[in-house]
Amino acid sequence: MPSESSSVVEQSFPIEGATEAAPFAPATGFDDSVMLRAEDLRKEYRSGSQPLVLFDGLNLTVHRGEMVAIVGESGSGKSTLLHLMAALDRPTAGDVYCASTWLGKLTATQAAAFRNREIGYVWQLHYLLPEFTALENAAMPLLARDEPRSTAFAKARELLREVGLEARTHHLAGELSGGEQQRVSLARALVTQPRLLLADEPTGNLDNHTAEAVFGLLERLHTMHRLTSILVTHNMEIAAHCGRTLRLHEGRLHEVRLQAGRSEDTSRQMATASSEAPGHPIVRTAFPGGNTAGTA
Amino acid sequence: MRFELFIASRYLRAKRRQAVVGVITAISIVGVAAGVASLIVALAITNGMRRDLQQRLLGSTAHISLMRVAGDGIEHWQALTDRLRHLPHVTAAAPALYGQVLISRGARSGGALVKGILPQQERTVSTLLNSVKEGSAAALAPSPSSGAPSPNAATPPLVIGSDLAQQIGASIGDTVLVTSPQGELTPFGLVPKYQRFQVTGIFHSGFYDYDSSYALARLTDVQHLFGEPNLVSVISFKVDDLYHADRIGREIERAAGKGFMTTNWMEQNRELFRALRLEQVVTFIVIGLIVCVAALNILIALTMMVMEKTRDIAVLMSYGVRPAQVRRIFLWQGMLISILGTTIGLALGYGLSWAGGHYRFIHLSAQVYSLDYLPFAPRWQDGVIVALVSLGVSLLATLYPSSSAAKILPAEALRYE
Ligand SMILES: Nc1ncnc2c1ncn2[C@@H]1O[C@H](COP(=O)(O)OP(=O)(O)OP(=O)(O)O)[C@@H](O)[C@H]1O
Ligand SMILES: [Mg+2]
Repeated sequence: MPSESSSVVEQSFPIEGATEAAPFAPATGFDDSVMLRAEDLRKEYRSGSQPLVLFDGLNLTVHRGEMVAIVGESGSGKSTLLHLMAALDRPTAGDVYCASTWLGKLTATQAAAFRNREIGYVWQLHYLLPEFTALENAAMPLLARDEPRSTAFAKARELLREVGLEARTHHLAGELSGGEQQRVSLARALVTQPRLLLADEPTGNLDNHTAEAVFGLLERLHTMHRLTSILVTHNMEIAAHCGRTLRLHEGRLHEVRLQAGRSEDTSRQMATASSEAPGHPIVRTAFPGGNTAGTA
Repeated sequence: MRFELFIASRYLRAKRRQAVVGVITAISIVGVAAGVASLIVALAITNGMRRDLQQRLLGSTAHISLMRVAGDGIEHWQALTDRLRHLPHVTAAAPALYGQVLISRGARSGGALVKGILPQQERTVSTLLNSVKEGSAAALAPSPSSGAPSPNAATPPLVIGSDLAQQIGASIGDTVLVTSPQGELTPFGLVPKYQRFQVTGIFHSGFYDYDSSYALARLTDVQHLFGEPNLVSVISFKVDDLYHADRIGREIERAAGKGFMTTNWMEQNRELFRALRLEQVVTFIVIGLIVCVAALNILIALTMMVMEKTRDIAVLMSYGVRPAQVRRIFLWQGMLISILGTTIGLALGYGLSWAGGHYRFIHLSAQVYSLDYLPFAPRWQDGVIVALVSLGVSLLATLYPSSSAAKILPAEALRYE
């Protein structure tokens, strides 16, 4: 993707590689500066007799170029939320729009093409393929769309240089250190020049020093590639570096103001649904009547 | 496609996290190779057997035989033979007179079919005279021109089959009594006609039918024996196009005129060739089961590989590899195993067949098989069919694992890691 593609005034664009035209968000009320919008999201898991509702009436808007941190207790549903934004999973109810794409209408094949074009995803674990070298791993998303090997490898090599691993291109994934592996996975996430970077505890598995280095790199890449980034983290220092920090708690996102490692809830709910905060823990709680009065 | 093949071939070569998957993969390759190789060898043998049988059969049988519908014998056979010999596609023609006789030597006797021939012409339609193993057939040449040690007129020469010779205990030089059931009417009633012959040659064709019941004599002697001085019972033909013997036979019938009929080698041996073809089909099915077992191994290997790689597949999907691509990765994986096994199997099968035909290292009992070595006649068509079957069966085996790989949900597979 050419670099001007991340310009703020860019128009909606179709997803290449999808077999049918991807569905678009309704033109009305679509704000061009918005990169990602989640409306009235509900996600529940049916296991056993009682459904487990992770969130209900969750709203989120992320603007282009933002770097947003999402924090929250273990099990609050942060990973699930990221999956929904990447079209890796479907919400029980509600809609997610990414740029101009309405994720709810994508077929599995279209969703794959969407991820390939628009999303860079980084996990807590590097998830590199052990049979392949760092270069091959980094080039994989390009190879998957049948880009010629020479250009795919050239782009991957460039990204590996950006993450400081040009000397390790021909090492197998298993021959790299934890920090190096995570840097390769960053290169892999960005090799397609996506507009949205989703990172799920990208430094969670690294020691403090390495975590800082990897996060520093992530910040730099965010600026360099003019990304919109959403970062799930447990590390408040990292969260404090982000433009905005949201706390996922009891199925809602709350904006948090962070100062010198101390967090303070602003008590302003991101989601403006039912303002009376439920006093019971969200986990393993059935919401009565489903979606309640969600006004964005 | 390049991407899928890239992943699949790397997966095939890479070291396994679970050694057992690698072992099963290796077993599948060996299994396919073994199945394909045995099929090629088995088909080469049945084909060799059939070809050998056909060759020898055609050597000693005429391609087409012409006879009277009424069985009353052919008159003016010299002129007719000369005329029919010049028909298109006919390469040779020879007259003969057949008759059922009893051949005895002392107390031992056996039924036989005596065939009166003109050796010079007979050699053009049958190789039976070339298979004389003891003595010689030279004496069968018409007496005036023959410079061979002429047996006296009272005991004309006779060449008999080896099994018949054994049965009556005759050897070269022995005199045997040939009795025709078509007796002569005498004042004492119907007296069987008989004639002494001297055994001058013993042939061994390898066909039990011939070796146990055929006797060859000069045409004039047999005509004399049966009291039919100027008749033959059959005119035999060789043609240039074996597989159109029926059509050429009809033309011969038409040219010969009314009251004639023909049979050809295919009609005469129809049951034999049908049995051989059935044998080949059965061989194919039975040994083809080896390929099916190998395909089952492919299924197991792929299923385990999909289980082993679930997380990696989910990761691939997370950055945009489509389900159809995932399916093709494992389809290729299975096909690579199959292609590898099939190639090795073909090389092995044709190699063994060639070596078997060249070095003849498998010996047979000549009494039982009329052949003292196992014939190998590999055909390239068999290789094509076997390869297609092997690849096709393997393709079927990949369907389940590859579609189950394509159904992996990335969010689920990556959850608890
Ligand atoms: N497929 C599923 N079926 C049932 N429950 C599920 C399923 N997937 C997730 N959950 C539950 O949903 C909850 C949220 O999971 P999720 O992984 O999103 O949490 P998280 O906020 O990322 O936690 P952590 O910080 O530990 O990574 C958990 O309680 C989990 O058990
Ligand atoms: Mg998580």
